[in-house]
Amino acid sequence: MGAVTDDEVIRKRLLIDGDGAGDDRRINVLLKSFTKWCNSSGTPEEGFTQYQRMLGTLSQCEFSMGKTLMVYDMNLREMENYEKIYTNIEQSITSAHEKIAECKKEIQRAKRIRKNRQEYDALAKVIQQHPDRHETLKQLEALDKELQQLSHIKESVEAKLELRKKQFHVLLSTIQELQQTLENDEKSDNDDISQESPAENGD
Amino acid sequence: MSVFSLSYSPCGRFLAAGNNYGEIALFSLSAALSPDATSQSQKPVLTFTAHEGPIFSLISTDCHLLSAGNGEISAWSWTELIKKNVKPLWTRRPNYKSSLEIPEINSMIINPRDNSLVVGAGDNNIHILDMEHGEFKSVLQGHSDYVHCVSVREREGEILSGGEDGAVRIWDSRTGQSVHCIEVYKYEDCARPQYGKWISCVTTDSDWMLCSGGPALSLWHLRSLSPTSVFPLTGCQRQATFYQDKILAVGEGPYVSHCLLGGKVKAEIPCTSQSLNTLQLNTNSTEHRVLTVGGSSDHIDVFTNLSYKAFSLSF
Repeated sequence: MGAVTDDEVIRKRLLIDGDGAGDDRRINVLLKSFTKWCNSSGTPEEGFTQYQRMLGTLSQCEFSMGKTLMVYDMNLREMENYEKIYTNIEQSITSAHEKIAECKKEIQRAKRIRKNRQEYDALAKVIQQHPDRHETLKQLEALDKELQQLSHIKESVEAKLELRKKQFHVLLSTIQELQQTLENDEKSDNDDISQESPAENGD
Repeated sequence: MSVFSLSYSPCGRFLAAGNNYGEIALFSLSAALSPDATSQSQKPVLTFTAHEGPIFSLISTDCHLLSAGNGEISAWSWTELIKKNVKPLWTRRPNYKSSLEIPEINSMIINPRDNSLVVGAGDNNIHILDMEHGEFKSVLQGHSDYVHCVSVREREGEILSGGEDGAVRIWDSRTGQSVHCIEVYKYEDCARPQYGKWISCVTTDSDWMLCSGGPALSLWHLRSLSPTSVFPLTGCQRQATFYQDKILAVGEGPYVSHCLLGGKVKAEIPCTSQSLNTLQLNTNSTEHRVLTVGGSSDHIDVFTNLSYKAFSLSF
């Protein structure tokens, strides 16, 4: 039963599909009809109709062949197009990679610069707390001048003091000498007087 | 649990975190940041107990991870840790005067000029360990209370330290003498007497210094030793760092503060923990450039873009 059905199936398929599918079938049918037409012995009109029919089938086959050739050309060109797009994309990927690397370097540089700026700011803050150098220098100069003036004054005062001391010294020593002289005079006066009186008493 | 310290591996793909139980957890950043990360990749790949006490400081050199807790410094090889081998390379202890109580080590930093490790300890001194020979070369004395934090000023070869006594001292690394001493709490603009005078964090980029703690977070110009900006942040900041043109600071309060050098607070980005102890930027790797913060919880927040928290790793 299975074998019979198999045979049936095979026969049916061969009947329907014995020539292959589509264009292949058309060519096979053309071949068969050509051989039949060559060997046919019918009326010339029939032969002519069959001839026309065969020409028609032939042109159909040529048409489909032309179509396939064009499709093939189109595929080739599409492939080229895709190759071009592919290389373009690869190039843009590599350039994007490079740009990313550049940007990363930029960011590192920018971070370093920012760090330096912040350090500068921090130091500047500290420095601002100290007074201005010019002012301090000016103050120093003014103080220097004052110091010089005061030392001048001190010198002159000291010189005056020395002079006065010396003058007083001269004065005092003169007074003392005078005193001495006066005392001496007094003493010699007294001596004279006491010498005179014993002399008088002695007489 | 509190996370006290964070450090990145030299390749930048791993993060080590130290907590108050003495454990170090290793997280794989490449797994956590990859597009197909699961919740499992936010757990540590390795956890081990490194010290008996809390680990206050973790730093990484080219191939080692150094951890410091209660008085001891241990070194671990990163390659071994990545292979899950948890044997320390060496353990040293600075020469403490008193042997009765062992002071804790609060902070360490590498001085790249002479390849030495600067250790700020609880015995009020700063110990310098020569990494080549493994010997403690010198001790910097001058603080009158324990040292909270140390930092290195690379261009001039100076060491900065901040302590509980409120003083920030600048030391010359070659002579071991204290070059300057800034008592921050004496400056009216910065002082906040209600919080105290202790300095909990000091960081520098050779020309400028940030310090905070009891006094407000302030930016100092080191050449003139004068405070240039004071930042109006509430609470005490525990760690601050310079990043490009900004300052990032963490402390009391569940957020990371972004400030501009001029004194303005630009943003406060919320985080999981209620208060934060440490923040670290991953500068060792270009593909895992993240900021991580840790604080008073077992979550470590990871920021891929500084403006928002991406996800959290948990201990």
